[in-house]
Amino acid sequence: MTTQDAQCPFHGNSETRGDDADSARASQHQVHTIPSQEAADYPVADWVDVAALASDPYPIYARLRAESPVAWVPQLNKFLVTNYAGCHAVEQDQEIFSANVSGATMTRAIGAQPMLRKDDPEHSADRAPVNPVLRPKSIKEVWGPVFEGNAETYLEKVAEIGPHEADLNRDYAAPVASQNLIDLLGLKDVSVEQVRRWSHAFIAGMGNVLDDPAIWERCDASTEEADRLLEELIPYYRQNPDASMVSAWANSGLPASNVAANVKLTISGGMNEPQHMVTNMVWALSNHPEQSALVFTDPLLWAAAFDEAVRWQSPIGMYPRETTRETILEGVRIPAGAGIGVVVASANHDEAHFGDSAADFDINRPKRPHLAFGSGVHLCAGHWAAKTSIGQIAVPMAYKRFPGLRVDKQRNESWDGWVFRGLTSLPVTWN
Amino acid sequence: MPTITYTQPNGTQQTLEVAEGTTLMRAAVSNGVDGIVGECGGQAMCATCHVYVRPEYAQALPEISDDEDEMLDCAAAERTDRSRLACQIKIDAELTEIVVDIPAGQL
Repeated sequence: MTTQDAQCPFHGNSETRGDDADSARASQHQVHTIPSQEAADYPVADWVDVAALASDPYPIYARLRAESPVAWVPQLNKFLVTNYAGCHAVEQDQEIFSANVSGATMTRAIGAQPMLRKDDPEHSADRAPVNPVLRPKSIKEVWGPVFEGNAETYLEKVAEIGPHEADLNRDYAAPVASQNLIDLLGLKDVSVEQVRRWSHAFIAGMGNVLDDPAIWERCDASTEEADRLLEELIPYYRQNPDASMVSAWANSGLPASNVAANVKLTISGGMNEPQHMVTNMVWALSNHPEQSALVFTDPLLWAAAFDEAVRWQSPIGMYPRETTRETILEGVRIPAGAGIGVVVASANHDEAHFGDSAADFDINRPKRPHLAFGSGVHLCAGHWAAKTSIGQIAVPMAYKRFPGLRVDKQRNESWDGWVFRGLTSLPVTWN
Repeated sequence: MPTITYTQPNGTQQTLEVAEGTTLMRAAVSNGVDGIVGECGGQAMCATCHVYVRPEYAQALPEISDDEDEMLDCAAAERTDRSRLACQIKIDAELTEIVVDIPAGQL
């Protein structure tokens, strides 16, 4: 068996846009799991409806975990790993489960191979220079005040829009996430809108498995704009180093092409997820008033609220790996060269790890490790930045500015995606 | 073979025989030792492999780097003068035996 092109934006397979419609049509027939031993040595889950995954993946994840937590899903051309133990085992072994997957559209999209598609030691050489920027001390002391300023700016705009019209995603989460990323990277004078456009163009390119020329055109235009900016910024930061990520990379001794690839990776992956966490948290707290009351009286609980929200509705649902040799995972024999989808959103609802209440939002649940940021060497580089900028700053400040902040049930909210999942609109109101 | 002994907060001990070159974090995670998470895979980015090293082995340990020092401040359990990150301690010719205590929490 061989894998086809990796399909995914950023962390892997298609965000289930673009090619989704086709996959959905192909999987209309509702056939139950083939007794796999007849055809192959592994369970096959050909009943998985990709369109349904994008609208609400959790019932499908629950069935996969119950029936076959490591299963071949032909519609996705991958083995999906959906339980905690399996996902964790994959993440602990980069020799068998490589991040350097075949046919990576990610590499095509941003013009070079970023660290997320490398294994160690190549990965480590790219990543180590920015780790000091992203450790908690730098995030808190250097970047905390910057994140606060950005939150302040956009809270004022939300106030102008008012409690009948405000959309927390459009008016707050999106611009705050974008400006935070611009500052942390050190992109200087680019606009919030421009970086959002780049980010979306890169993500679309990473998911462009059908080779849509219009998507490549937009992606290439953004790559060119970002590259042109970096041609100026890298020499600038070599002369004028500061606490930003581009500065750290520019002064690391890495070739400029590595720096550019990883900056573009960061632009792709460092915006949607913190954006989704702003809205996820407010949505979760709004729908659990008894728990929000606890958080409002004890600010130390903001950390638990963030951590539980990122577990419960993980913004990154799945990312790809590829087997370098035949292996056995959770008792299932997987051939060499097979595509693997590590479904961390499902692992984060695994009753075997989190108990019977795994599907519930509970900020008081016993502390257990979750996989929302991944784990192992590819653990999200920005996890301290996210916990701080969103969990300690953007969301608590929004509640302080707007007492009674809550989902506006008079207007419609919307969710989308499974590879990446989040609220695409969240109307809010306040007292 | 070199050995690592992990002591749980309730006093139970588990001794692993390990190859030179492995770290206290990697050996624990690979062998399912409870109480060591090792979330970041050994980059000193997470502080979830915090251990207390028994004083008799302190001499054989490498210095605490600035990165490890910073992350130990973020450990969930109390930092003491015996605190180290298990990912930063490698079993080698200088260190063929060690006993550590696992804190009550890493998260």
